[in-house]
Amino acid sequence: MLQTQELQINIGPQHPSTHGVFRMQVTLDGETVVDLKPVFGYLHRNHEQIAEVSTYIQSMPYTDRLDYFNSMTSNYGLALAVEQLAGIEVPQRANYIRALMSELTRILNHATAIGFILNDMGAWQTALAFSMREREKILDLFEMASGARMMCNYFRFGGVVRDLPPEFMPQLKDLMQGLPGFFDEFERLLRDNEILLGRAVNVGILPPEIAASYSVSGPVLRASGIAYDIRTADPYGAYSELDFDIPLGEVGDVYDRILVRFEEMRQSYRMINQIIERLPDTTGGHINPAMASIGRQKALRPPAGEIYARVESPKGELGFYLISDGSTRPYRYKVRAPSFINLTPLGDMCRGHALADVVVILGSIDIVMGEVDR
Amino acid sequence: MTHEPKQPNTYTVDRGRGRERGGQGLAAGLGVVMRHFRDAFTRRLDNPAKTSGVFTVQYPEERTPLPEASRSMPILLYEDTSGHELCTSCYQCQRICPPQVIHITQAKDPATGKPVPAVAEFLLEYDACMSCGLCAEVCPFDAIKMDHDFELSTDKRDPMTVNRADLLRPVSYYAGLAPGHWADVKDGALKKLQGAVRRRSGSIGIAPYRAAQLAVVDAPPAEAAAEVAEPAGMDDKAARLAAIRARNAAKQSAEAAAEVAEPAGMDDKAARLAAIRARNAAKRQADEDGGA
Amino acid sequence: MTPLLQPILGGVVPEWLVIVLSHLAVTALVLLGAAVMMMLAVWAERRIIARMQDRLGPNRVGPAGLLQSIADGVKMFVKEDIVPRAADRWIHILAPIVALAPVAMMLAVIPWGRGLVAVDLDVGVLYVAAVSSISGVGLLMAGWGSSNRFALLGAMRAVAQLVSYEIPMIIAILGMVLLSGGMSLARMPELQGGLPIVGTTLAGVPDLGLGWFVFTPVGLLGFAIFFICVLAEGERTPFDIPEADSEIIAGYMTEYSGMKFAVFYLAQYILNLALAMVTAVLFLGGWQGPGIAWLAANGLDIPAAVLSLIYMLLKVWLLFFVMVLLRGAFPRLRVDQLLSFAWKFLLPLALVNVGSIAIWIALTNWSAAQWGGVLNLDMLAAWQRQLLAVAVTAVINIAAYRWVLAINQPQQPETPDELIGAAQAS
Repeated sequence: MLQTQELQINIGPQHPSTHGVFRMQVTLDGETVVDLKPVFGYLHRNHEQIAEVSTYIQSMPYTDRLDYFNSMTSNYGLALAVEQLAGIEVPQRANYIRALMSELTRILNHATAIGFILNDMGAWQTALAFSMREREKILDLFEMASGARMMCNYFRFGGVVRDLPPEFMPQLKDLMQGLPGFFDEFERLLRDNEILLGRAVNVGILPPEIAASYSVSGPVLRASGIAYDIRTADPYGAYSELDFDIPLGEVGDVYDRILVRFEEMRQSYRMINQIIERLPDTTGGHINPAMASIGRQKALRPPAGEIYARVESPKGELGFYLISDGSTRPYRYKVRAPSFINLTPLGDMCRGHALADVVVILGSIDIVMGEVDR
Repeated sequence: MTHEPKQPNTYTVDRGRGRERGGQGLAAGLGVVMRHFRDAFTRRLDNPAKTSGVFTVQYPEERTPLPEASRSMPILLYEDTSGHELCTSCYQCQRICPPQVIHITQAKDPATGKPVPAVAEFLLEYDACMSCGLCAEVCPFDAIKMDHDFELSTDKRDPMTVNRADLLRPVSYYAGLAPGHWADVKDGALKKLQGAVRRRSGSIGIAPYRAAQLAVVDAPPAEAAAEVAEPAGMDDKAARLAAIRARNAAKQSAEAAAEVAEPAGMDDKAARLAAIRARNAAKRQADEDGGA
Repeated sequence: MTPLLQPILGGVVPEWLVIVLSHLAVTALVLLGAAVMMMLAVWAERRIIARMQDRLGPNRVGPAGLLQSIADGVKMFVKEDIVPRAADRWIHILAPIVALAPVAMMLAVIPWGRGLVAVDLDVGVLYVAAVSSISGVGLLMAGWGSSNRFALLGAMRAVAQLVSYEIPMIIAILGMVLLSGGMSLARMPELQGGLPIVGTTLAGVPDLGLGWFVFTPVGLLGFAIFFICVLAEGERTPFDIPEADSEIIAGYMTEYSGMKFAVFYLAQYILNLALAMVTAVLFLGGWQGPGIAWLAANGLDIPAAVLSLIYMLLKVWLLFFVMVLLRGAFPRLRVDQLLSFAWKFLLPLALVNVGSIAIWIALTNWSAAQWGGVLNLDMLAAWQRQLLAVAVTAVINIAAYRWVLAINQPQQPETPDELIGAAQAS
């Protein structure tokens, strides 16, 4: 009989589909993955330590760089934690603006996440180009409101930096008019595609109990069939007043993760419609008047204590753990990054699958290395 | 901030079980792609409501307009006519800057050696700046604002540390970029500037830097500035002429006022007030002349 | 070409030199044509896919970006030629040449137009099938010689893919050989004159040159199988597994740069175009089209040749457009799915198709004596027999397609528990 030998391959840190500088040490038997060890830390930028020597507001622009696809929700996490620590009230209007930005972020993230999964499957950019097109329109809105497309730095403690400009709403309504068509078309392109089915169905199954034991969160967890969403489990901001459903997968494979993202985009669309309807009737301004001046933000001294606040970022549960010693700087600052924690069961999901499935499973987790390595 | 957790409404996604897979999905996908192929020849995607058509913006020739709030790199402002800088070296921006790329040296009165509210040198490391805009937000004098010029690409490192002369832009430049934002703060900013000028007219940084700015045209990051400054420099000359004239007029009227005041036995304060009023009137006159 | 050059050079140089020169001229023409087509193909692919993605594509170099390929070529030329230290030097260097040469050789037997064929081999079809499989050796050399694990994986995939797809491909060709009764590629288009479906069987109707095999049920199925195999053979999406960039960087080309990479690239695109030409010749009537028969009948050979060249190129570019369209729309298969698709789906269909072609021939050609008294179709006219054959084979082929589809439906485990059990068992 012929002697066979296992093959060790390093996928990454420079590789087209590791979504950044991420390395997987893969042991292959032919094309089958025998073992997989994720290696990360190549993009470590010392975020938590820098935050501990900065004032609270100085960390805000750095949170943009955590998950650079979803800077709005990263902002939200820090703002929520500091507000709860310092007991700052947020006006209703500000809460609605925040929810609006979070849901727009969710649409753009899920669309591009699906596009990237398709790229990992070998589609020649088409799905990604369509989702990037929609993302571009949403980024235009972000730029209009916050001044920057990706590094928004839009949230302040007690509200948002400035109110929506007058030209924002008409353009948002235009966008909302086009979105259902985009969803339909995107699903027609992908949902029943036999090649995609072959690549995604029963690939990378994450059973619910294993998902829960790894404390996976976000669409990956919901695709495994567990109805856990911070927006309903621990509602924050305007979410207790908004009406939406949670889509669940039944198998927990790559296909379920794609479908859950499709459905979540539609739910976000539903929420944005409610926000557009109610925003004119909301009370309060874009920021709590007590915190309106940047001087207050800068000199903020939350009372000594600790807090763990979390938001449902498009990738999962984004938590900020802060300890204040009563000074202007946090004593301890810790980020619970969903990308990082969702990445840990990668080895379990990939074992026994082909090498080609590894990149697809990695894509379906939807990581951003900026958040994994911080 | 506490809410009652609500019972989530859930539903299960449709995996399309039992549907026959004989290539229908592939055909539907081809149809979508063909629609885009067709539309790309006949229409442009110029409205967010459209989902097909050419989306490309052919960048150097075509540009999308930037919204007012857009922010690239910080700049310093000076008042157009008099050339007074709005910055007073209060160090607020230096303190809040998260990556700590702002370095201010406060100006000193040459006679007494005491610090004065003006800036001697203002260094900004563009290569480490992350365009968060906190400096512009925190500035109590609206002296630092975010530029819209994003074409800063260069293969050299030195010009990325930008000094005061290269950072300075006239107020009118910023007012052109963000008219709404400037209108909100204009009155306060100019009032504060006038207050500062009134208190220490000699020590607020002025015009020489504009002259220097015109001279330093070869520094790459200054190119954009020079482009802006040059046309401004043209009517700058006229403006400066007008300013000189105004000052002369003001001097004359002040003298006249003093002459009037002395016999009347009025105190110094009133005379100064009258002088300022006269000067303002003269300036207005001069502006009108310049405008004409 | 020899008769063309003979009067010009006849007195100046010896006759053997004239023959050599004329052969060189033909070779140069064919290779030059192929290279120009390749550059156009690269440009067209980029522009077409860009339009499918709401973009414009390369439009800066030359008019409408037409010179983009030349700019890319110049860039390739000036790049450093790198041979990895651990590589098997000579194998590494030879591999692109071994990959390109058979592809160029394929072009020799393809009829570009009426009377425009470099070499009319009696076994042209066999030659194409044989020569195209040599390039697999080049790919294996590249993967092995690079001493890179991604390259090795890519080469293994490439060889597995080429070997598996050669079988349905050759069986599909076999059917066409049965149907046409010969192996000459140059003769294939001549058999595809007449009208759609009925071909040349209807007397008294002008020859429109539309009796392409693809209009018959057997030809249609053969065309589908053959074209899918062409995609696999030419490593086009959804079968671009050997160079799957998202998995194994660039497969066997991982360690190649500069001109050696360009040669691989050239080989791949020329292979795609050559296979598209073979497809056109076998199934789409090659250079056949309305008007050619009329021109030829009136003795206008040169206009007929030009028109036939235009028809041929139109068909080739149409097939290439379909390739690009597929690339724009679909992801790629996994390597095991690719192999099972070849063995479980294409191969049964191809075998059934050979059977239905045999029935076709029996229904159209056999006399009552040949049928041995089972069936007597002699009283039917030729076109009636043709229509009968169309109907019978259509029923057989559709039934075969449904059957193969049914046995290939994925048997999904229905409940999550079953799935987890399946996952743990594997």
